This record gives sequence, structure tokens and C-alpha cells, in this order.
Amino acid sequence: MNFYDSYASINQKLARGVVLHYGEEEASVLPRDPRPLRIPRIGVYAGTGTSHSWLWFVEIFDRMSFHEIVFMTEDMVRDGVMECLDVFAMSGGDTIRIAEGLGPEGARAMESFIRGGGLYIGSCAGAYLPLTSSKQHLDRFNFVDIKIANLSKTRPEAKRMGRKASTSYGCDFVYHPVREDVRLRMTGKEPFTGFGSFRAPLYGGPSMVASRDSDVLACYEGFTEKTLFLVDESLAEKTLLGKVAAARTTMGDGHLYLFGPHFEHPLFPIANHLVATAIFWDMKKGRNDGKPSDSEFVLEGPAKEQLVRDIKREISNSRIVAVGLESIPVQWIIGCKTYEPEKIRVFLEAIWKRINALERSRRICARSETCEEVVAHASRVTQLLRQMKSRIDDRSDTQDLAWDLFDGLRRLTTIFLQIYFDSLGRIHSVSSGKK
Amino acid sequence: MLIVDLETGETSEDGLDDDLVSQKIGGAGITSSLYETYKDRDPIILGAGLLTGTLFPASALSVISARSPRAGYLTHSPFTLKAGMELKYTGFDYVVILGKSEKPVFLWLHDGVADIQDASGLWGKDVWNTTDLLRKSMGDDLIQTLVIGPAGEDGSDLAQVCVNYWSSGDCWGFGKVFGEKNLKAVALRGMGLLEISDPEEFVDQCFEILEAIKGSAIEGKRGVEDILTAMGESDAREWLSPVVHRHSACYNTPYPTNTFIYLNEDPTTLTEPAEPEPGFMITDIGAVLALKKMGFSAVDAGHILRACARRGMDPVPVAEIIGKSGQKDPKTIEQSLVGLQGSVAVPDGANFSSWVPQQPMFGDFGLSGEGSFKDWWMRRQAVAYIFGIHPIFANMSPELSEEVILEMANKGTGLGLSQETLDQVIADVCSF
Amino acid sequence: MRIDVDALKCIGCMACEMACGYHRDDAFALLASCIVVYRAREKKDYFGVVVKEEESLMIARPEGLEIRRIGVAEEASDSGPKKEADASAKPMLLREPCDLCSDMKYGPMCVKICPVNAISLLEGGE
Repeated sequence: MNFYDSYASINQKLARGVVLHYGEEEASVLPRDPRPLRIPRIGVYAGTGTSHSWLWFVEIFDRMSFHEIVFMTEDMVRDGVMECLDVFAMSGGDTIRIAEGLGPEGARAMESFIRGGGLYIGSCAGAYLPLTSSKQHLDRFNFVDIKIANLSKTRPEAKRMGRKASTSYGCDFVYHPVREDVRLRMTGKEPFTGFGSFRAPLYGGPSMVASRDSDVLACYEGFTEKTLFLVDESLAEKTLLGKVAAARTTMGDGHLYLFGPHFEHPLFPIANHLVATAIFWDMKKGRNDGKPSDSEFVLEGPAKEQLVRDIKREISNSRIVAVGLESIPVQWIIGCKTYEPEKIRVFLEAIWKRINALERSRRICARSETCEEVVAHASRVTQLLRQMKSRIDDRSDTQDLAWDLFDGLRRLTTIFLQIYFDSLGRIHSVSSGKK
Repeated sequence: MLIVDLETGETSEDGLDDDLVSQKIGGAGITSSLYETYKDRDPIILGAGLLTGTLFPASALSVISARSPRAGYLTHSPFTLKAGMELKYTGFDYVVILGKSEKPVFLWLHDGVADIQDASGLWGKDVWNTTDLLRKSMGDDLIQTLVIGPAGEDGSDLAQVCVNYWSSGDCWGFGKVFGEKNLKAVALRGMGLLEISDPEEFVDQCFEILEAIKGSAIEGKRGVEDILTAMGESDAREWLSPVVHRHSACYNTPYPTNTFIYLNEDPTTLTEPAEPEPGFMITDIGAVLALKKMGFSAVDAGHILRACARRGMDPVPVAEIIGKSGQKDPKTIEQSLVGLQGSVAVPDGANFSSWVPQQPMFGDFGLSGEGSFKDWWMRRQAVAYIFGIHPIFANMSPELSEEVILEMANKGTGLGLSQETLDQVIADVCSF
Repeated sequence: MRIDVDALKCIGCMACEMACGYHRDDAFALLASCIVVYRAREKKDYFGVVVKEEESLMIARPEGLEIRRIGVAEEASDSGPKKEADASAKPMLLREPCDLCSDMKYGPMCVKICPVNAISLLEGGE
């Protein structure tokens, strides 16, 4: 079964105004329920502290035609934009920097959103964020009383990847027993039904301990031929096997799904299917209207062509430099994460592969300020990359440039992707006769 | 297909008509046709061969087609190394450059984007500095360049369009044509994807052809030395090998036709040298042969060739002029290159660059003697320039027969090109 | 088994890079290739081949072979400062590690396409 096609079919039909019910016909991929389906509006968090894995959410949402997407920054969270959303998706990154960026106002906004019926999906750092913690910044996000199993009083001995395989956490250490593909098993609890074993990749996400107030949807069942052990295998087994990999819990009228592994990684179809299931199953019921994006501002003709050409020029220029950097052994530390040149192109490719769609489309949706902004950001990224290459050639330090570059890449990608999804959303709604 | 109007500073694109490909095939076949369409605007046309950039052996060539100031009619120059295939991967198979720019510009072709950019900071710089500056300013060491030096800017008949830092197959004075248009350079970089009609069959046959080539007469042979030896210079290895560093090949070309000699570094050095410009890559067999025959040492020949490349000068006529002057000191020769002028004799009716030795090398093409070489050479070059095959390698490898090439072209395009069509295109290209 | 490259035999033709790209993309392209000709030092005539493997980079330089482990700590040396090991030092999604073309009938395409036999397949432990 091609899940992506199934969900794309559901979303495209919904966009055309077709009425669908859970579990029936095209929506047979979902559990049965008498409710009619509705197009979810999904916020993808791409603010300070996020890495690049939020782009995996983008990839699967695009494949499944979830086109009502809003790319959220910490400012937007604090400004209450979440109230317009059905779903808020938070992927990986530096959990503490994410928490710090959102601050107390962001935490309150998130809590209000979830209690008001919204759905929170968090994987990896996004799963750590709402767990109870006394650590500074994280202590504002104590939404879920689930304990983590990969916590130790002493730093475990690293088998590989050195001391970064664990990080201090208050008086304890959070450690990462394995990386790459692990095997999970569904417990059969709704809405995660229909499969037994499946795989997903683990890149530092939590191993959780079941609690009374949460439903266990999937457990860590075993390892695969791709699993990399960062600690002794017996410790890895003890830390993971039988522990909670995916949990669902409630808060007020809303729900939280917490995934240890990256269920949104685009190479894992069953895990991706579960993300989509969760969205349809527990999305907000009855949303506050008022789309916070630019879908009413239409650009067509020569102005549209010029914009796309300008974006394409700069992204091409940036990609060319980025590919060259990949052969240079350079690394940068941003927060507690290590960045290598290949990560630059993760952002650029997310844009590049979608430029064609905008080229082919007769119209795109963006305010004129947004058009200027996206070109300006793209041009700045090109400049930063060229500066970086020049400094590397001169054997000068590039750490400060790296901060600016990855921040710039994040901003550029969110602005572009917002234009892209707004434009796709408008194409579908125009073709259905909907405004 | 890209149209670049240097006068207005505008570019426009057109899809490549399947009919045009069915009738004119590719490379010089199509550039000749485009020249006819645009000749009132004195065009320079860059064109990739039909097979350029694929896994077909030696598919390294693209062409520059323009009216040669030396010949007075349409001629074609090959450009290979990695620049020939890079043109195809920019997303533009054909680039028609029209008119003249008011100010110095360079053309930057990348991933389906064509930018005409200000070259005032490059004008006056030599070929090496220009390529260095282009790569530095755009942040990539793998950008391929077609560049003119001061000779082209000054309108010298001896000017050549160079590839990156090296002499090229331009023996038609296209450097002067670039200069007259205030076109300092064309920079190329592309990370595109080339899809073909029947990839599995195509690749299968590429491997078969390559196996045949590996077991052929070129086996064990390398570089300029072995080519010179095949041309009758029995002491070529003795003359050159003391300064030879390594041999390298153009894209996907089984024979390494380029030989790098170290002039100010120990040629046995294998680590990356600290010296930023330790030597020169010999890409022009005719030029190195001429200098050898004049009695220059390999080192002195290398210095002269490097000086020519820096100034963007065709080393073959330069060697002729040096020969007539009798000057033997490389430093004096280098200084004399500034403002050097001279006329260049062009054989009657020649269309293709004399950069390629006018004889078969290594392989047996079943030719009866020197008398039959000329027609064979013309036809062989035409095929190379149409399909995008390295023109020197085309003269080494009878395994790349017209029948095989046509079969592969059809597997790759699904167009059903016939021998009759090819004969007609060859006739058209050779008769211009 | 793994790929081995004799950098001194290599003529820098990039056929291996294109063949690997074809294996990845079913079309002619270079961006996804896991074997790359290092050619950024054109004026110096310094070129070699890099192969991305599952946990390491195999760098075939003219002066000799270097195997660099991905994400592993390295002491300071002439080529750079001390490098900390890092669990997140892992290239993502872009260039897949060499799989020896296990799904292709030719076996490793780079071995087959190299015109000068500079690339070979080594048995495990060699």
C-alpha cells in the first residue's frame, strides 16, 4: 500500500470539497469513525534551536498533500498564531535552545493551544520538550509527566562517538544508546493499529517509561542491521527494549503525541503513515478561522516569473558553493550540535526541488514584502557561503559565519516553503471553487 | 537552447525542437544550422554533442562555432577537459551569443540560469587570474571557464579562447571574436540530470564498447609522449619525461591526452605542492611538437606554452613566429608576446580545428596510406563534433565506429537516426 | 568487501563518478555519487578520489591512502586542530554510502567503468 498516495488522495479530495469519513473508501487507511474528515492546518516549528529535521515533516506533508502548512517561529508562537492551527509539529534540534527561544510566553501559548483542543506532535527534541523537568527553560514546559529511561547518574562509557553520546542534564546525564534504524512494535492502541513491527530512525530521542496518564502506542522492540551502538549493547538493550517509543497523552481538550525516534523521517513509510493518522485522528475540533498566511496575495505573469527566476538564481549559486564545501573537512558547533557542510544542502535541496513547481504554476501566493524578503535572504545566504569558502581557503575561522549561515538558511527555507505551500493550497482551492 | 543578446543584456530560452535534432543531430550539426538562422548578428554558438556528458566513452566534447577571423567563414573549435560536459549539465545544450556588449561582461551559466555579469574587474587580467577570480568570487573551484586573455581583448589574430588555464582546440582566433564582443569569459557549472531513452541498454553497451577499447592498441599508453611517439618523434619520451608529473584525461575519455609538467617543482612530488603554480598542463600536441622541433628543452617549451596560455594566445602560430625570429630565450619570448601580431595561414576549406593530429593514432582504421588520411580525418572530426566525442580520441579508436555511435545515439534518444541522415549532416557541416 | 583506488593510476576522467551517479539516480548525474574525483587543485595537478563508505571516508591521495572515520575524535595534526567526536556528525540523506552496487548486475560500476583499472574490489580484511 502506498500511504503517500492514500493520504494525498484524501487531502486532494477534501480540498475539492468532497465529503469523506474516517475509514471509508479513500480514507480506509484511517480507523473508522463517524466524524467527517477536515483539512488540517499544521504548524511546523522552525524556530531557534531547531536543526534540519523539521524538513522531514515538510517532505512527508508535501508527499501526502497536506498543503495547509504554516511555518512557525518563536515570535509567531508568542504572537498567538497557534490559535489558527489544528496541529503543531516539533521535530529535532537542541531542546534547551528551543525552550529558551520560546520562553515563558511561548510555553503559555503552547499550553493554551493544546488545552484548547490542539494537537501537539513532538519527535526527538520535540518529545523531550514537554516532559517534566527541573532544568532551566525546560521547566516552563512541564506538560507531560512521563519519565525518560535514558537518564543516568553517571556518564556511561561511550563505545563510539565519544563523549557527545551523552550530555549533562542537571545532576544526571542523558545518554543516547544507539543511532539509526531501530525496530518498534505497535501496541494496537488506537489510532495506531494495523501493523505489528516497523522501523524508524533514532537520533538522540528519548526512551520513555509508561505512565498512568498516557497511552503507549509503540515500544522499542529490537535493533536492526543498521543500528549503531554508542554504548555497550547490554546497556542499550536495558535502556530501550520494552520502553516507550511513542506515547499519546491528553492535556485539557487537546492531545500530545511524543515520538522518541523520528517518525517523520521520509524514508520510513509506516512511521510516516502513523504521523498522518495521528493528525487526522486528534487534530483540533472546531478551529478559529483566519488564515495567518499570504494565500490571498496572488502574483502572476512577468512578475511571478521574475521572482521565481531570482530565487532560482540565488539557490543555484548557493548550491554550487555548498557542493564544493562538502569535500572540505570542516565542522561547526552550534549550540550543542555539530554541523557539517552537507547539512547546508539539506536546506537548499528542500527549496531547489520545489522551484520547478513554482516555475510551472501560473500563479503563486506571496505579498510583495515576502517576495523581496525571500530574494534578499537567498542573496544573503549566497554571500555568506562565498565568504565562508573564501575564509576556509585562507585558513581563517568560520565559526561565526556558520551561526549566521545556518540561521539564514533556516529563515530562507521557511519563507520559501511558506510561499510554496500557500501557492499549492491556493491552486487546489481555486480548482475546487473554494476561496 | 539559450539566446543571449549582449547588446540588450537580455537572455531568452527556447526548447530544443525534436525535428531539429532528427534532422541535424547535435553538436556542430545544430550549431551550423543555428549559425544560418542568426548570422546577421555575428553569433558565437556553444553547442554540446548529442552524446556529450553520458557514459559513452570519450563523450567529452562541446563546440564553439563562429565565423573565424582567420578563415572568414563558419568554423568549429572543440572544448573538452571537463568544460565540454559541464555545458550540457548547465541545462543549456546550445547557447547563441549575439551582438556586442557595450561594456566588458562575462556569461555565467548555471543550472538553467543565465546571467550576464559585469566583467570590468576582470578586463585586462590574464587567463589564469581571470579563472582564479571567477572561481574565488563565485565560491567554487570546479567552475569551468572559457576565457580570453589580453590578446583577445587587444583584438589580436593570435588570440585563443582558453579552457580554465590551458590552451584549447581554438585555432580559429575565436579569442578575437570574444574580445570584439567585450565578452571576457563564459563560466559554466551545472548539477543537472540527463535522462535518456533506454538507459539500461545504453549503459550495457557502453561497458561493452569500453571493454573493447581497453583491450585495444591504446592499452598501456599515456599522455602527450606516446602521441608524439606515434607521430614519429621517437625521442619524445626521453625529451619530456624528466619533467612529467602526471597524465590526465578529459571527461570519460579512456586515453589521457593531457600531460602536466612541473617547471618549478620536483616532478616526482606526489603530495600537494606548496608552490601554487608549479607547472603547466600540455593540451596542445601541435604546439609542443613545434617547440620540440625548434630545439627547445621540455622546460623551456613549458614556459613558453604557459606564457601563451596566460595571455590567451594560440601557441601554434606563436611557435611559428618564434621559429622565424630565431629567438631561443624563453624569458625574451615571454616578453615579446605582449602585442605580438601575426597572420595565420588556414588550409583551404578547413572547418575543424587543427589541434587534432591529422592522422590515426594507435588504432588501425584500415586506411591505405597518407593520401587517404585527409578525407578520413575530416569525416572523423565531423562525427566527433556532431556527437560530442573527444576528437583526438576519435582518431585513436576504431571501436567507436559510425555504426556503433549511431546505434548508441538511437538508444539514448529513441529518435531512429539513420546513416543517411548522418551522411547528410556530415556533408552539410563540411561544406559550410 | 570494499572499493580500493590506486590514485597514481587514476587519470581523473570522472567516469567512476558518473557511473555511480547513474546507479543512484537511474540517469546521468553527479550529485548523488559516493565516489568523487577530488579535482579542486587544477593548477597544481593534485587530484585523487574520495569514496564515502558506511562509517568512513576513503581518501585515495597520490601520496597514499587515508581512511577517515566519520564522527570519530581525531588528535590535532598538520591537517587541522583536534576534532571532537560527535554523535550528530553524520551526513544525512544526500550522498548514500557505497553499497558496492549490490542491486546492479555489473557489480560495482566504478570498477567496471574505470578505463585504466585504477579501481578494484578488495575482499574483507584486505
